[in-house]
Amino acid sequence: MENNQIRYYKPFVGPFDPCPPIRLKSFSTPPQLFIPFQPPNLPQFSPIEALKYGTLWPSLFSPYDSKNTRQEAGD
Amino acid sequence: MSAVLNEDYYKLLHELQAIDFVLVELNLYLDTHPNDTNAIQQYNHCAEIRHQIAYQYETKYGPLKHFGQSLSGVPWSWNESPWPWQV
Repeated sequence: MENNQIRYYKPFVGPFDPCPPIRLKSFSTPPQLFIPFQPPNLPQFSPIEALKYGTLWPSLFSPYDSKNTRQEAGD
Repeated sequence: MSAVLNEDYYKLLHELQAIDFVLVELNLYLDTHPNDTNAIQQYNHCAEIRHQIAYQYETKYGPLKHFGQSLSGVPWSWNESPWPWQV
C-alpha cells in the first residue's frame, strides 16, 4: 500500500561532516495539516475499524509507517 | 472469575474497547464542535451501547471498576486476578 503522505528530502552532505551522512530523509504529512477546521458529518469507520486505524474518520487516517521501510521507497 | 480465556470474553472486551475509543473520538470532536447535534446524538447512542456492553460483561465476568462505578457480585472480586494488564 503506497503511502502518499510520505515526503522526502536530501540533507546537505559536506566534506567535514562529523558522522556518516544520511543521504535521504523522510517525513509524514498527515491529513490534519491540510484541514484547518474539521467539517461536520464526515464519513466514519465502524467502532472495530476505528480502533484498528486509530481514528474515527477515514479522511483523517495517517499510516505513519516505520522509518526504515520508507528508506527503500524513497530511493 | 469464570474461565477467562474463552472466545466470548475477549470478544466482549474488544467491543468495549472499540466503543470506548469511539466515545473518546466523539468527545474530542465535540469539544471543538459544541453545536453538532448529529455528533451529540451519536455520542449519546454510543454511551448507551457502552453501558449495555459493560453491563453484559460485568454480569458474566465481574466488575470492571470499583469504588461504586461497577456493581459487585458475591464474593467481592474486583481485586481478584486477572488484572486488566494480565488479560
